[in-house]
Amino acid sequence: MLLAFALSPLLVVAIGALLLMLAEAFSKVRTGLALGTVVVFFAGLALSASVWLYGLESIPGLEVLAPWLIIDRFSMFMNAVLCLGGGLAALLAGGYLPEHKIERGEFYSLLLFATLGAMMLSASGDFLTLFIGLETMSIGAYAMTAFRRTSARSAEGALKYFLLGSFAAAIMLYGFALLYGATGHTDLAGVGAGVKSGEHAPMVLIAMVLVLAGLVFKVSAVPFHMWTPDAYEGAPTPATTFMAVAVKSGAFAMLLRVMLTCFGDARSMSWSSGWPPVLAWIAVLTMTVANLIAGRQESVKRMLAYSSIAHAGYLLVGVVATMKNPAQGSASVLFYLLTYTVSTAGAFGALILCGRFGAEAVSYEDLAGIGRRHPAAALPFSLFLISLAGFPPTAGFFGKWFVFRAAMEGGFTWLTIIAFLNSVLGAYYYLRVLVFMYMREPAAGAPIATPMRSGYVNFALILSAFLVVVLGVSPSLSLDVAVKAAAAFGGGAG
Amino acid sequence: MNLGQAYFWICAALAVIGAVAAVAAKNPIRGAMGLLLMILSVAGLFLALHAQFLAAIQLIVYAGAIVVLFLFVIMLIGPAASTPPDKRGLPSRIVGAGIFALSGIGAMVLLVRSALAAAAAAPDAGTAPPLPPSDFGGIDTLGRVLFTHGLVPFELSSALLMVAIIGAVAVARGKQSDPTVAAKTAEPSKTRAKEIAS
Repeated sequence: MLLAFALSPLLVVAIGALLLMLAEAFSKVRTGLALGTVVVFFAGLALSASVWLYGLESIPGLEVLAPWLIIDRFSMFMNAVLCLGGGLAALLAGGYLPEHKIERGEFYSLLLFATLGAMMLSASGDFLTLFIGLETMSIGAYAMTAFRRTSARSAEGALKYFLLGSFAAAIMLYGFALLYGATGHTDLAGVGAGVKSGEHAPMVLIAMVLVLAGLVFKVSAVPFHMWTPDAYEGAPTPATTFMAVAVKSGAFAMLLRVMLTCFGDARSMSWSSGWPPVLAWIAVLTMTVANLIAGRQESVKRMLAYSSIAHAGYLLVGVVATMKNPAQGSASVLFYLLTYTVSTAGAFGALILCGRFGAEAVSYEDLAGIGRRHPAAALPFSLFLISLAGFPPTAGFFGKWFVFRAAMEGGFTWLTIIAFLNSVLGAYYYLRVLVFMYMREPAAGAPIATPMRSGYVNFALILSAFLVVVLGVSPSLSLDVAVKAAAAFGGGAG
Repeated sequence: MNLGQAYFWICAALAVIGAVAAVAAKNPIRGAMGLLLMILSVAGLFLALHAQFLAAIQLIVYAGAIVVLFLFVIMLIGPAASTPPDKRGLPSRIVGAGIFALSGIGAMVLLVRSALAAAAAAPDAGTAPPLPPSDFGGIDTLGRVLFTHGLVPFELSSALLMVAIIGAVAVARGKQSDPTVAAKTAEPSKTRAKEIAS
């Protein structure tokens, strides 16, 4: 019974998805599906919190699930973050899909199952469950990207995402196969022990490169980022929100777990012969390239896509910081994921709110003057952009602060300086939206954007604005939770 | 070379030939046939590894279902399936293929060298691998593992199949229920439904 309680966040999302799908198929009433999805996600969130408070140490029998699923504080934290991200995406879908007349029940099922995949991914302790979770998450995301079937953009983005994503998954699978060949294990802990023993060194090295390529693709870091802007732009905005928030969080959970468990030995984590320098250079490239390209975009949605790539770079800085202190580095990544989730979901939500059927707000020009005409839409947008740029007193500031501090204390001063310069560069394009919203007027004859009305989107914005402010004013509670969640990796560097 | 080794080398060579043909063939039907050859030879390799069930599944699912599906699609699309040669971005494509081939060959050389070094270090290890138990690879052993040790991933994979089905439905149904397109297509289908009903 307690075992079912420990698994309840996963179970509630899975059962909720099935029940809602049946309800949609057999009932004539088409409303309430979004509400049901939101309720399921927040039930998952509440259950993760209650399992956390109950204490996983006092639940016997968790080793039955090992090595397939590892139910620890790390996976509970990720469950909560993923349910929050999925819930915000479902709220946005509840407003966006009916407004743009593409509401079909499949979207909510896909959202729920894809989130379930991400939750499996963050809890998996074996390559088999890891791959199943990864594919469940990715296939859901591919289908959501292609959801607006008649739009050429949507089809293009989805096809690119699907093909490149399949190749990345195949490359990663090849790496898993080599690791199995080298160590004789598919569970992460067994692979870690095999890697530590130092046998079959070239095979492990090649496998590590292949696995790393797949992981870095999933977090959309440069040079594996080419699919991101097209997929983010073509997808319906709630699906974009989901990809930016939940898929990225799931991928980072996988990255942390695989790197710290399989390649957590002293040799693989050293600067001279391990993965940290590779990830450090990928982080530098990701931040710089994404910020430079983001500044040149004319579409706000595309700018937010590049901004999500840049944030993957900052997160990778936190992953590199695990080299010296695994617990502190992963805690900073987890906290950053939380702040990034609420800020990004809010920013996409505000962008949704600024458009309506047939006149979706996409470019900077579309947003011109909206701050004067509709301050209720522009104000939350400004808050989320300020948070993404990392100004105090918002959540984004503390997210960046803890990642940079972890990097500084890990001895990566040069990396911290580059990341800091990049966040200054990033402020340019976030503030440019504010300039357009408050200081420009739409060009004569241009269509004037009017915001849509939707209780769902309003609620999503209020919720994420609340969290952005709370995390920005008093981050200590959630940081404490993140530190406890990351304690699972405390003894990683042997 | 004994009979088992000869069998392995024949199957392996046919698999490589089939794989190359699948990628290199200009005619898509020939490509599909190359794929079929590759799948059959891999099934042969599985047989040699005492994995009879895997070999049978390989034949039924890949050779029986997937290649036939490919052939259906190729025949539906017709001769238009062969695209005209595309010269755009040729230099970067050559460079990309070169880097990929070089790193692949480099990785293979590293692997083979380390395997040879390991064999030289321990000459008797690995010459006679232990024979698997007689029920290895059979359907009942596999079923037992699937429902005891591997129950968790087995259940989780149902979520994967579910999301794939829903995704396929969502993408396929998208065309009919789009408001901009539905206005044109919905009318005839409605009248047809009425005709059928009457």
